[in-house]
Amino acid sequence: MEDNGDDSLYPIAILIDELKNEDVALRLNSVKRLATIALALGEERTRKELLPFLNESNDDEDEVLLAMAEELGKFVPYVGGPQHAAALLVPLESLSVVEETVVRDKAVESLSKVGAELPEQTVAEAFIPLVKRLATGEWFTARVSSCGLFATAYPRATAPLRAELRSLFGQLCHDETPMVRRAAAQNLGKFAETVEPEHISRELIPLFQDLTTDEQDSVRLLAVEACGPLARLLTKEDSVASVLPVVQKFAQDKSWRVRYNVAQQLYQLCEALGPELSRTELVPAFVKLLRDTEAEVRVAAAAKVSAFCKLLNNEAVISAVLPCVKDLAADSSQYVRSALASVVMELAPVLGKAATIDHLLPVFLSLLKDEFPDVRLNIISKLDQVNQVIGIDLLAQSLLPAIEELADDKHWRVRLAIIEYIPLLANQLGAEFFEEKLGPQCMKWLEDQVYSIREAATHNLQKLAKEFGQDWAKDHLVPQVLGMIHNPHYLYRMTILVAIAALAPVVSQDVLCNLMLPEVVKCARDKVPNIKFNVAKMLERLIPLVDSSVVEQTIQPCLLELNEDPDMDVKFFAKQALARCGEGVTVQ
Amino acid sequence: MGHVLPENPYKDLDAQIEALMKCQPLPEPEVKILCDQAREILIEESNVQPVKCPVTVCGDIHGQFQDLLELFRIGGNCPDTNYLFMGDYVDRGYHSVETVSLLVALKVRYRDRITILRGNHESRQITQVYGFYDECLRKYGNANVWKFFTDLFDYLPLTALVENQIFCLHGGLSPALDTLDHIRALDRVQEVPHEGPMCDLLWSDPDDRCGWGISPRGAGYTFGQDISEQFNHTNGLNLVARAHQLVMEGYNWCHDQNVVTIFSAPNYCYRCGNMAAIMEVNETMRKNFLQFEPAPRRGEPEVTRRTPDYFL
Repeated sequence: MEDNGDDSLYPIAILIDELKNEDVALRLNSVKRLATIALALGEERTRKELLPFLNESNDDEDEVLLAMAEELGKFVPYVGGPQHAAALLVPLESLSVVEETVVRDKAVESLSKVGAELPEQTVAEAFIPLVKRLATGEWFTARVSSCGLFATAYPRATAPLRAELRSLFGQLCHDETPMVRRAAAQNLGKFAETVEPEHISRELIPLFQDLTTDEQDSVRLLAVEACGPLARLLTKEDSVASVLPVVQKFAQDKSWRVRYNVAQQLYQLCEALGPELSRTELVPAFVKLLRDTEAEVRVAAAAKVSAFCKLLNNEAVISAVLPCVKDLAADSSQYVRSALASVVMELAPVLGKAATIDHLLPVFLSLLKDEFPDVRLNIISKLDQVNQVIGIDLLAQSLLPAIEELADDKHWRVRLAIIEYIPLLANQLGAEFFEEKLGPQCMKWLEDQVYSIREAATHNLQKLAKEFGQDWAKDHLVPQVLGMIHNPHYLYRMTILVAIAALAPVVSQDVLCNLMLPEVVKCARDKVPNIKFNVAKMLERLIPLVDSSVVEQTIQPCLLELNEDPDMDVKFFAKQALARCGEGVTVQ
Repeated sequence: MGHVLPENPYKDLDAQIEALMKCQPLPEPEVKILCDQAREILIEESNVQPVKCPVTVCGDIHGQFQDLLELFRIGGNCPDTNYLFMGDYVDRGYHSVETVSLLVALKVRYRDRITILRGNHESRQITQVYGFYDECLRKYGNANVWKFFTDLFDYLPLTALVENQIFCLHGGLSPALDTLDHIRALDRVQEVPHEGPMCDLLWSDPDDRCGWGISPRGAGYTFGQDISEQFNHTNGLNLVARAHQLVMEGYNWCHDQNVVTIFSAPNYCYRCGNMAAIMEVNETMRKNFLQFEPAPRRGEPEVTRRTPDYFL
């Protein structure tokens, strides 16, 4: 018993030793397993020995400190639960003032976690004083870190303390160091969510307005992000009065980074303000961003086109937004076109059939022919949304030529996207029309130079056979596939074997046993070993699909022959498949 | 009834390959076992290892693991596709450990389906300068894995010969080696020397000038078309396929189609903007080159290759 105890403690002793090792990698390893150490030490020794030790090791490498900051956030249970958790505030406080931002951020995150678990009394006695200490710290790192803790401290503070915290936050918003103002701007929205409505409009909004006119664009930039949360928290009237003008001004800020952030946030604000106000007040701002001189801003705005338009009515979209969309489709920046292509299909359901045909189809077609493959890919991957709106006839007439062209695209990922879209298209087009338009192409992909395309082509055949049924497959897929089995290149013959195995579960027994199986068996005499062991692999897949008599008379003899092959890989796969035969019939 | 499938004797190895394909490095003890097994296989191979067609011939990889996976997406997976890699698996890229582990694991699992040759970077000295050593240290906390692999590198074959027609190697020819038999006679199990025939095979480059020249690399030689023609003629070959040099299209013919360079690391060092290529040789010895671009990186930040407007 005692021996056992020693044995299990031995690794812990090593971990503790290695906390002090000279090698960073070993210290890091130990710190990452602090929880194990704490568990072994027990709650009391963790508080009285481990934590004081950690308090003294805070001038270690940043990597070690980061791990420590993270681990301590999960430490409440190891020190004896919430009533003892105040002990964790000491090491985390010192980590929250170090120079390295990443460590500080992690320490603040952990402080918030621990703070949320503390009992009321400890909050008042230890956590809030800690926030105040940091907020008035001499060195700016402390003040930066404090900004992230208000949202945790505030809801659990008494009324007088709350007033004090609000006023402290005000000081931070006007701190002389831009880094601190930045942190305040960044945390304003989160803090506001915990503050009573009357104090938001009276105290926080003026702070917000000050931050939005900050001389540093990096501060304004982060203040933008508070617009959405604030608008949600305020009454509509208050939002219109105090948030809306700020957004409209931001949309024309002289710094493109600020405008970029507005473009990303605008949609949130629309949600808060509702469709009516968005239409009258925000569409002009949005249009300005879509026509911004800086490509980065247009990218951000273009990516939000559909989300934004879903909040508007039809006329507003057609009259104000669509002209911009048409211009963006011909934008000089490929990244703008790519961003537009990734969302523009979602406009079809918003606009309805007639407007989609009139206004959007030309945009789709031009993006489908874009010289930049990502743009084409983005359109193809969302084509199904257009089917539903304009119907298959029109789609066939207008988009099919473009699709046929993309089926031979020189970028294989574009070809792959088209193949993945084929089963859906097949479902829409019906067997006859499909066969005429796309049947030959589906066979051509089996001989693509790129392996992934050939592989996708075999999956595609299986899906088509499922879609159109056994009889169709027998006439339109099986003969074509079997006809390609003598390709002079082994990789292409292998694709055909895989295609046969893919079709096998979805064709009739007659086709499988009388047409396909004989061809597979013939390939067992191929001169290339790779084909032979793929015959074994494919036969293994066919075993559960056929009668045991077929296994005995055809599959097993073929595998037994392969099992005698001099090539070790052929032998291996034949053996694996033979074992599978044995599951149904007795091997002699 | 109750029939039990025979245990797959390669179960552990197959699991390792599966993990490596997800870019998860093997634990140190498994690397040791793997290298021991690989040594037993490689020691049996010749300095001029015979290879049958069909086979797909590949050039430098340099730790660009995502791009090695892209290569398999283009060329097909091992063992279905036969591969011949001409060295430089490690250094420069972020994932030398995973790259070389995967290729060695495939060699151990499918020795007849994949051939791996030695490049000038498969060396103790070079890997200490260009990243593999540091990567091992970072990923394992010590240099053991680096030692296992660099000790194994000594056993890699120097060259391969596809159907007695295509001579494959990392660098190029050597003034000290006129025939394949001269190469077969070398004692290759050692660190790549600073000079001499073994060094030349891993370091030399073809050049527009005739004859032998001094290499600007400080090791190996440059050799002209006359040398390549003579070597192919003497040995009854019709092509020297080699890697070692960045070529923008991924492959490049020279010396009147006596020599081809194949380079399989697209956007080399994540910034050169080059295509990569592989050479498929089918069962009738017809050659087909497949070019490819870098794999789209998930998780890694996308680097905008656009020049900002204000620089124009």
